Amino acid sequence: MMVRIYVLNVPEFLPLVDAARLIDHAEVKNGEYYFRIDARDELVFERKAMKMKPAVWYGAFTGGLDGEIVEFGRDTVRVVSTKQ
Amino acid sequence: MTKSKKGTASSAPGRTYEEAYGFSPNEGRKPYSPDADSTALALHGVDHTARPTWKLKETIEFYRDVLKLPLIHCISARGWGPPGHHDFLHFFFDSGNGSTIAFFYYIGADMPEKYRPEPHHFFAATHTAWRAENEDELIAWKEALERRGVSVSSYTRHEVLESIYFVDPNGYPLEISLRLRDIETLDSKDAALTLEAALVAEQEALKSGAVVQSIDEVWRQKARLVEKRYFQDA
Repeated sequence: MMVRIYVLNVPEFLPLVDAARLIDHAEVKNGEYYFRIDARDELVFERKAMKMKPAVWYGAFTGGLDGEIVEFGRDTVRVVSTKQ
Repeated sequence: MTKSKKGTASSAPGRTYEEAYGFSPNEGRKPYSPDADSTALALHGVDHTARPTWKLKETIEFYRDVLKLPLIHCISARGWGPPGHHDFLHFFFDSGNGSTIAFFYYIGADMPEKYRPEPHHFFAATHTAWRAENEDELIAWKEALERRGVSVSSYTRHEVLESIYFVDPNGYPLEISLRLRDIETLDSKDAALTLEAALVAEQEALKSGAVVQSIDEVWRQKARLVEKRYFQDA
């Protein structure tokens, strides 16, 4: 079961891509304008570790989301795969 | 090109608001015809935005003396046009780059309750954001306003803007913002896809007689659009 997010290739959202590259079970693909991040079962991001401001953090998935957000706090977001 | 006489405001007494101003509210109007005219049009920034005030002295003192925006124009006139229009002052403060912020003060008019400012994001959505040219300017505004007695928010970094917020004596929200980077082609392409996704999400919800309840629904539609346009078809 996969989780997939899309990240627009602009500086304010790149911390998501950098963080995903450090996740063993995640794969980052570079498209024309977006990065596509695929992960097995779940994706977790930590706001403070990414040095992301809240106004950007709460729009982190504006590039597109294929999964379910099960936790979206001020510092941690967890996305799991949508049950088929 | 000459101006058509049609549509100019008239001072003829006894007319309705619509007749006096020459346009009607949108309710019940026929659909737009975006392709009926192909004239290339351009705008060149903001000339003025305007709002009513019921605090003449405080408004003048705030914009002229605290913000130190030059007062550059003031109309004082008998009420004319629509029925019941009050005598009024209409005054303009220079907000840079040829733009102004303007106020109407209606002589002898009490403030209707519905115009009272509310501590709610619906009310704050209508606001004026001025541009600072660089970070030093943004900092200078925040520190100077605070020294002059204005309560100013902390710096807020959005995606492409860093802003400070405060309110005027009328309760109108004001913002000074700094562009953090240039807007690129991909920003406008992304904006178009986000709104397309939102419209699709609305349509999908409507099919089951519902409304969109969460931004997640928009993000899911966006994923489908981005996948199709930039990965499958690429």
